[in-house]
Amino acid sequence: MKNQWIEFISGKVTVKVSGKGVERFINVLIRNGLIVWNVKRHGTETITFTMRLKDALKIRHYARERECSISFLKRAGMPFLFKRLLKNSGFVGGALLFLLIIMFLSNVIWGIEIKGAKPATEYQIGKELDKMGVKIGKLQLFVDNVEGIQRKLTNNVGNLTWVGVELKGTTYHLQVVEKKDPEKPEQLAPRNLVAKKKAIIASMYIETGQKIVDINDHVEQGQLLVSGVIGKEGQTQQVAAIGEVWGETWYKSHVELPLETNFFVFNGQEKQKHSLIIGNLEIPIWGFGEPEFKEYETEKNIKKINFLKWELPISIGNETLRAREETTRTYSEEEAEKNALELAKNKIKSGLDEEAIIKDEKILHKELKDGKVILDIHFKIIENIAVGQPIPKETPE
Amino acid sequence: MAKKWGQRVRNWMAQKMDLPQDVMMDLPRITMIGQIHIYIENHRGLITFTDKELRLLLKQGQLQIRGKSFVIKTILPEEILLEGKIDQVIYINENPGGTK
Repeated sequence: MKNQWIEFISGKVTVKVSGKGVERFINVLIRNGLIVWNVKRHGTETITFTMRLKDALKIRHYARERECSISFLKRAGMPFLFKRLLKNSGFVGGALLFLLIIMFLSNVIWGIEIKGAKPATEYQIGKELDKMGVKIGKLQLFVDNVEGIQRKLTNNVGNLTWVGVELKGTTYHLQVVEKKDPEKPEQLAPRNLVAKKKAIIASMYIETGQKIVDINDHVEQGQLLVSGVIGKEGQTQQVAAIGEVWGETWYKSHVELPLETNFFVFNGQEKQKHSLIIGNLEIPIWGFGEPEFKEYETEKNIKKINFLKWELPISIGNETLRAREETTRTYSEEEAEKNALELAKNKIKSGLDEEAIIKDEKILHKELKDGKVILDIHFKIIENIAVGQPIPKETPE
Repeated sequence: MAKKWGQRVRNWMAQKMDLPQDVMMDLPRITMIGQIHIYIENHRGLITFTDKELRLLLKQGQLQIRGKSFVIKTILPEEILLEGKIDQVIYINENPGGTK
């Protein structure tokens, strides 16, 4: 038996034949390779059978030779379905349009929710988002990705400590942590101030507490600077010592800087490539061919397309190829020395408080070896050396 | 006479060489499934088809099948599958003992 489904796909027709000698007619048909099935007799002169659509077109030719009249009763199969579909193409078009509209709307930003921000900050964030193009009614495709928004917001809105941006369906949820107002002076426990490290006291500013050391005194690490025990002898009282003790400290730094350095710079040339990604298949849409520059770095952005709340396996990829050039930086010896010094300073500073000042630097040792400048530098730094240390609870004598 | 000779040679070969008779001698091969299906190979065309009777031309003679509510499920130049309620399968030898 033939596969009914294959016949369905290619289309089949039920034919009614009436006349004399229908049996002979069928013989002729099958001998000519027309396939016929489901032959039934209705009455004395009529039979019906089913045949392929493409065979049905030839049947008239054979029928003319015999004295049979033919009529087609039933048409079934894909070709006819397709025909009907074309006839009702408005319907199909509507359905497609509907899907398209839903797809389009699924990729529009429908809401921006900001949580955890004061109205003022919220307003500011809103303005910043507007600037980035994150607005209700915009397409998500043309907007930065979540990490980008997060980064820009944290950079551009001053009083944000952290912002978490999350895209849930068509809504951006922003979880905001604001910078706290300057804290109220805490209620400190009684404490002393001690030296953080070896130093020579340069200046002192004491709010509360009994000063123990003087300017130009040499102090060791852990030495008591300001005592939290105040009052006359016998009537002592324990308070939290507050103050700043600025001391001169010393740091040694070792830096090496090559005279010649190779590194890559972007020269501003770039090429954009867009592609449609379906599953694992990537179909380029725009930006073909190799870029005209040889050395480049590739940055790839992939935007998913949503359908209602689901992510479709279709996404839009955007590649940016940035041309880079290798350049060589060459320093003269003096320049190298200057830069090395600067480098050392920055290195030192990054490990210090913001208020610390570099008072003086002295190059202890300078060497030029293997195309490198090697410096050993001694820094004198004025910094706050006071740190709190709780007074151990003493039992009153 | 020549045809008869040929027939006899074939018959002999089929017997001696253990070959299936239907292949050698162009006989119809009939397969029946209960009363509902009959499958005939090696026929030579339809002669009559009604819902109570099917007559097939064979190489020699005819085959008549009687029954009820016949439907030809498939028909190919040498094969036919008939569905219905089959009561009788009859060989009709035209002009038995005749000249042909």
